[in-house]
Amino acid sequence: MNLPLSLTRFLLLNGPGYMLGYGLLAVAALFWVFWPGKGLWARLSRGHMNTQRVLLEDALKALFDFEYRRHPCELNSLAGNLNISLDKASRLVERLLQMGLISMAGQGLSLTDTGRSYALRVIRVHRIWERYLADETGVAQVDWHHEADRMEHQVSPEATDRLAAQIGNPVFDPHGDPIPSADGELPELRGKPLSQLREGDLGRIVHIEDEPKSIYEQLVVEGLYPGMPVYVTDVAENRITFATDGDECTLTHLFASHITVEMMPGKAPQRSKNALLSSLEVGESAEVAGISPNCRGQQRRRLMDLGIIPGTRIAAEVRSASGDPVGYRVMDTTIGIRKQEADLIFITRKTTSPHEHA
Amino acid sequence: MEKTTHHLNPEDLLSAANQARWELGVNFHDDIIESVYEDATRIARKTVRQKDENAAYRQDLKIDRIITSKWLGFPIMFLMLALVFWLTVAGANVPSGMLASLLIDTAHPWLKAGAAALHMPWWLDGVLIDGAYLSMAWVISVMLPPMAIFFPLFTLLEDLGYLPRVAFNMDSLFRKAGAHGKQALTLSMGFGCNAAGVIAARVIDSPRERLIAIITNNFSLCNGRWPTQILIATIFIGGLVPAAWAGLVSAGAVVGVAVLGIGFSLLVSWGLSKSVLRGEASTFSLELPPYRPPRILQTLYTSLIDRTVFVLWRAIVFAVPAGIVIWLVANVHVGGLSLAEHFIQATDPMALVFGLNGVILLAYIIAIPANEIVIPTILMLTVLSSSLGGLGAGSGVMFELDSIADTAQILQAGGWTVLTGVNLMLFSLLHNPCSTTIYTIYKETHSLKWTLVSTFLPIVLGLIVCFFTAQIWLLLT
Repeated sequence: MNLPLSLTRFLLLNGPGYMLGYGLLAVAALFWVFWPGKGLWARLSRGHMNTQRVLLEDALKALFDFEYRRHPCELNSLAGNLNISLDKASRLVERLLQMGLISMAGQGLSLTDTGRSYALRVIRVHRIWERYLADETGVAQVDWHHEADRMEHQVSPEATDRLAAQIGNPVFDPHGDPIPSADGELPELRGKPLSQLREGDLGRIVHIEDEPKSIYEQLVVEGLYPGMPVYVTDVAENRITFATDGDECTLTHLFASHITVEMMPGKAPQRSKNALLSSLEVGESAEVAGISPNCRGQQRRRLMDLGIIPGTRIAAEVRSASGDPVGYRVMDTTIGIRKQEADLIFITRKTTSPHEHA
Repeated sequence: MEKTTHHLNPEDLLSAANQARWELGVNFHDDIIESVYEDATRIARKTVRQKDENAAYRQDLKIDRIITSKWLGFPIMFLMLALVFWLTVAGANVPSGMLASLLIDTAHPWLKAGAAALHMPWWLDGVLIDGAYLSMAWVISVMLPPMAIFFPLFTLLEDLGYLPRVAFNMDSLFRKAGAHGKQALTLSMGFGCNAAGVIAARVIDSPRERLIAIITNNFSLCNGRWPTQILIATIFIGGLVPAAWAGLVSAGAVVGVAVLGIGFSLLVSWGLSKSVLRGEASTFSLELPPYRPPRILQTLYTSLIDRTVFVLWRAIVFAVPAGIVIWLVANVHVGGLSLAEHFIQATDPMALVFGLNGVILLAYIIAIPANEIVIPTILMLTVLSSSLGGLGAGSGVMFELDSIADTAQILQAGGWTVLTGVNLMLFSLLHNPCSTTIYTIYKETHSLKWTLVSTFLPIVLGLIVCFFTAQIWLLLT
């Protein structure tokens, strides 16, 4: 067999210029099919979800939310909440009535007991998944809700119970909402919107509404999180200013209404801003003041395991040849921590004497 | 009379506990951990008396400030790694030659003679001795010496405490690629053996970065591929320049391929962390342990047993069946041609589009157990398919020639051009991991999905790179 000859024959049919074009096309097609999340493959594998059931479950969830927040619910508000036409909404309500999941009194829609426990099951899946995504994966904060919205219709309650057991049976989702127990228990709604607080009020954030996404993204950027103490310092016509732990934040009333606060007796949170571990120069030392709540799950546990907890002495010792990470001395061990993580650790630069060995 | 019983119903208890947890709020977990630490610290302060290790630590810090310094950090690292590679390559030559002459040049004919004396049928003798035995012997003689030198050296550096500092210095580069600094270690380990590199990824405790390190380890040009690279570069690239420059230019080409591999490793890490692995959990911290004198005997023992023998054993397990397959495809005839010839003729036109040929494709499929046997398989198949009489050791019998010029002659008779050589070097870098590594990846990840990704991603990349190299080359010449 003569290889150079067959090569020549081949190239007479397809010159390299054409071949290059074909090649580029083939590579483009590969990308189009396999691009993660947006490619054909990803779309197809997402596509076959039962849209009817999804809509039904979303409606039950919405109705439960109205009930929980003690708002009345009518056809209009349901259609608005689900972002569907009135026509579609009325067909949906008819179906729910037929299935005995909801009841209708005048214009008002309310859940039957069967409907409520169905809704609670879906909500449980949703919130446990959010907790799981927040603690055990690296999925971005703004994507938790969206991802859990997908999972809630796909995962069985049994699989969810197993997942819950695996992550320590959490009782709150990362937005501060309580997770219904396996037999459908849920505590009473607490607190009121931040927008209703007055100057001098002290409270603790118990919930940050994750819809719509655009507002939630803003609140995430502000660094607000459930459990954060707030102290209202100023209420103006359309904005509210409050001190959080070591920081000050101003929001419009619209944004503030997406945050629920539980009133709390006690003293105002510390108003001086904490320094960050990343600001420590090589050779300096300080005391750990805490880890930002934005550092969660495995990363948080890891840092705590290494002894980074309030009160520990920490010293910056060596800087890597490329500048980042920096080696910190904590509890007689040197640990390299990246700037990205050192930004999430608060310190206080107290000039205390070294540990007294009693 | 009515009697009230106080049954402590477990459901009620659980529900009460849930209620309490809801009331305690979200921060209570942290509070518990903090109080545990606080108590532990208080108790420790009261009861534990610490020896003053400050002097030793100050000493370490002085060394650290040099090793991680802006100007000396990287030069020291390159010198150390270059020294390890030089010792491996230079030191492995002699024992490799000795093993080859013992297992291949002496024991193989002796076994053949034994089989003839026993009047063994030719096919049984072929399958067992030319196939299974020879491929096993080849793998041992080429793989064992470099590994037995490289792994102990590497483990010594690890034991000394130097390697964590390398990871510390390199982290910034790997962070930009979405990976962990310790991937610098698994990557260097991969230069010794990819299977060992994959196992070494255990040191990365962050799940996402560990997966990235495992999937991209194959881009480190392993020990088994260096001889292929050197041989082909000497024949095809060294041949392009005057003889005085040949050595330097071909060495440069091999280093270039290795550097290209590092580039691909970082690029693919970046791509994976930005796409498929975006959602995987990521945690970072890197302990810088105190320096200590290495425990030489223990190091020798663990690196020889845990790494060398372990990997070698897996390679042998895969080499034996592959040797049988290699012999069979060359000796089972259908319609006057062997299976190998059928495959080569059928795939040749397709392979030429990628600047390769059917022999290379077949060799990479059947020599999957170890990269070490790719060149002997290629030579055997070339002789077989181009009907070069009087050369080689018979169909299905892998061989290598001592003379580079003779090897070049065989390849050129098989229709190889400079382009084939260049693309073979690229494909040798960018193709599926050997079966030992694939199996190890499965063992380490317990995931079929990631095993398949690590297997096929490099092949797809390799074919794309070879295709464009070939087509641009043909356009320009």
